[in-house]
Amino acid sequence: MATIATVELTSDLLSDNMSVIADTTLMKAGTTADDLDQIEYGVVEIATGDEFDLICSTPTATKASKLYVKNHSIDETYYIAITQNAQAIGKLYGGPNGSGDWMFIPADFHDAAADIAITSNGGTNKVEYALFHEGTALTTT
Amino acid sequence: MATTCGITISAGIAPGFGGISESMTLYQAGTLTDIDSTTGFQRRKLKATAAVDLITMASENIEPKDSVASKVYIRNIGDGRGNIDKSVGVTIGVNAERIGKLYGGDWMMMPLTCIDADDVTATPENDNTVVLEFVMFYEEA
Repeated sequence: MATIATVELTSDLLSDNMSVIADTTLMKAGTTADDLDQIEYGVVEIATGDEFDLICSTPTATKASKLYVKNHSIDETYYIAITQNAQAIGKLYGGPNGSGDWMFIPADFHDAAADIAITSNGGTNKVEYALFHEGTALTTT
Repeated sequence: MATTCGITISAGIAPGFGGISESMTLYQAGTLTDIDSTTGFQRRKLKATAAVDLITMASENIEPKDSVASKVYIRNIGDGRGNIDKSVGVTIGVNAERIGKLYGGDWMMMPLTCIDADDVTATPENDNTVVLEFVMFYEEA
């Protein structure tokens, strides 16, 4: 079964309301019929000030991985800062009633330094993440 | 005024994975005040493999506040005439860091720092026509 990601974006900032609905089927890199078939999913709580690599395994580089991250903190002053390879990407704030920020990005993991790292700020942030990928370098016991 | 964005991921990867359905309201950083500025919905046609700035943070057309709660939505809509090639992608980057590749039909929603150096870049995989739709929401400096 395919994995399908759908977005629905609405805004009334402009004179006319904006509404965008789009979906995509998550495929392996460069293919038109071979779906992404592996997932790493988790929920973590990170104390303020701590920085961690969100993805613990090493996804195969330069593939078609997609990463979803949501901040489930209910305090709008709490946030997680996202970095990749020391490049600051942005911040995901918490919010009441499940309104906290999320992101959904293609994740390249182009080399060992390109991990997605998160830093917790304001308090303990509860973070949900899901990585859809097509292979990781598993650790031998 | 409000800007909201929902995501639904339906995945048949694992029988126990029930999918993801979440929404966020785009607030100004650390508050419950709606985000107040946008670039508006845009589309950019690319025909070469050279990297281009999709969003130039130091542009005089926008004056975003740095390191707050900005977000960008980007979608690869194929050649803009209804032909979407899932096998060819456009690499999206921030500053000099490549984030990942949007294949035909793929979309992303990502937080941004909006720091002047952190332009959002797009680098097509080949010189076939590809069109990106995008909109950025930010706080006015």
